[in-house]
Amino acid sequence: MNRVYVTAIVKGVPPEEYSRYISPMKARRMGRLLKRALVTALKAMEVGGIAKPDAILNGTAMGCMEHTLQLLNGLSAEGEVVSMPTAFMQSTHNTVASQIAIFTGNHGYNTTYAHRTVSFELALQDALLRLRAGLARTALVCANDELTELQQQQPRFFGQLEVLDRSEAWMLSVEPGEPPLYELENVKIIHNKGAEDRAIVQKIPL
Amino acid sequence: MRPKVVITGMGVVSALGVGAERHVLALRSGKSGIAEVRFLPTKHHEFPVGEAPFHNEEFRRKLNLPEGRRYSRTSLLGIAALREALAQGRLLDRQVLALISGTTVGGMDVTEQFFPKPVPDLDRDIHDCGASTNDIADNCGDFDHVSTVSTACSSAMNALIMGKLLIENGERDIVVAGGAEALSLFHLNGFKSLMILDTQCCRPFDKMRAGLNLGEGAAYLVLESEASAKARGAGIIGVVSGVGNACDAHHQTASSENGEGAYLAMSQALLDAGLSSSDIDYVNAHGTGTPNNDASESAALRRVFGEHLPPVSSTKSYTGHTTSASGSIEAVFCLMALQNGFIPVQPEFENPDEQCVTPVSGSNAVSADLRHVMCNAFGFGGNDSSIILSRYE
Repeated sequence: MNRVYVTAIVKGVPPEEYSRYISPMKARRMGRLLKRALVTALKAMEVGGIAKPDAILNGTAMGCMEHTLQLLNGLSAEGEVVSMPTAFMQSTHNTVASQIAIFTGNHGYNTTYAHRTVSFELALQDALLRLRAGLARTALVCANDELTELQQQQPRFFGQLEVLDRSEAWMLSVEPGEPPLYELENVKIIHNKGAEDRAIVQKIPL
Repeated sequence: MRPKVVITGMGVVSALGVGAERHVLALRSGKSGIAEVRFLPTKHHEFPVGEAPFHNEEFRRKLNLPEGRRYSRTSLLGIAALREALAQGRLLDRQVLALISGTTVGGMDVTEQFFPKPVPDLDRDIHDCGASTNDIADNCGDFDHVSTVSTACSSAMNALIMGKLLIENGERDIVVAGGAEALSLFHLNGFKSLMILDTQCCRPFDKMRAGLNLGEGAAYLVLESEASAKARGAGIIGVVSGVGNACDAHHQTASSENGEGAYLAMSQALLDAGLSSSDIDYVNAHGTGTPNNDASESAALRRVFGEHLPPVSSTKSYTGHTTSASGSIEAVFCLMALQNGFIPVQPEFENPDEQCVTPVSGSNAVSADLRHVMCNAFGFGGNDSSIILSRYE
């Protein structure tokens, strides 16, 4: 059984760094979340020194809301004559993880978890078990959610679920890396009827 | 050695009905559930769909769920399928249960009724994918681990793949996995925007194919370590022999010409199962009926199987494309085929296409002695997955 290490944690990449990772021409065609998610992922790959991780996983509570709301707005304004292929294509929750794969030409394991506040931790658990079992040696695990204008103005529009406007990416490896950050020991998800789902992530600083 | 993962229960809802029995009957007699829309409040009656057989209120009554609160249709379909799976697995009273469910639509069917206003009188969250999975879990049993996978049309299959991983790593003895997805105006109009909906019954792999029909439904499989199943004397329906997941990494909605992602997913599943391509007795293809998917999947199938292509069919001509739920619904169909010794046929198939594999056609299912069957599910973004299910021997 392999030991699993966290070799990079990247979040809050400032917009002035974006052009280091994506050409402004390509970036123009991307939504706000996708751009930020991709840059964060690419930076984690750079910091972790892994250009092609064996697995790419994303956790997102609400998915790609900007494009989801475009189509919902279109439907309510125009009715069912609406035609918004691009918004629909980019509305699915797996858009971010698959776009990272498309952008980097990565054919490895690719999945997305969308389970409220523990979405990222579920992705982390999947990656941990996969690396432990030797099914992959490296994994990029991301957390991505966006707060659209509607959600900022009406935080309870879609319910009580608290969504953080964030992009974060961790690089996991069966090798400790230099300098090593953490050893990932365990991830546990706890569900209780009527309570918000919780996660426990056990990692040891190295 | 990693534990063998067996299946000890299953439950299914689709346009073919509620419960396994109706599905076996329909698949054996070649009877499709695709028809004009009845329940979804859409104007688009030109697109046939595969709707589950009851209105929401009728589902609620049949499931004996309390009135006076809102249910998404995804939850109702999921509850029906999950209860059947738990009952067959004799798990209804168990306190420690894990559920992994795939969905993308979640509670969108409720949100879209009121948008741009929020859903009124909500006593619990209903919109997001996780809320719908929690609702399914909490109306069926005592789950202490609940998870939602959302990889578009391969969601339920990726839930099965994660379930197997949890058991093989010794994290859980039993994981119930699958998916649930209701029709919504959101994705009906989304697929319409992509111009890939057929106005006739879909015709996967046919030269005249003109797109897919949307469907809805849910299916769950009780995955269990062989040791646990034996220890509690559970009936074993089949084995999850191998799984594969790969990314086509080509385009957000189009599949690559050579079917790279599909090829890699199927190859990995064979490797994981320790089988060679000649061991596969039947492939339940993703086969949506879109020109692009079927040509790409055919290219991948030819790369995997070469000259010795086993019988292939797509059961989407029975249920429509049940999107996020398709991976587990079709896995259940594969288990039915294994158990009852038949290959589902495509009654609507007429015109072979040199770009495509030729599926098994006819009016009734073909009898066959099956040991290993492969099931494919591919999603937007090139999230391609494949699993191999085998007879328990």
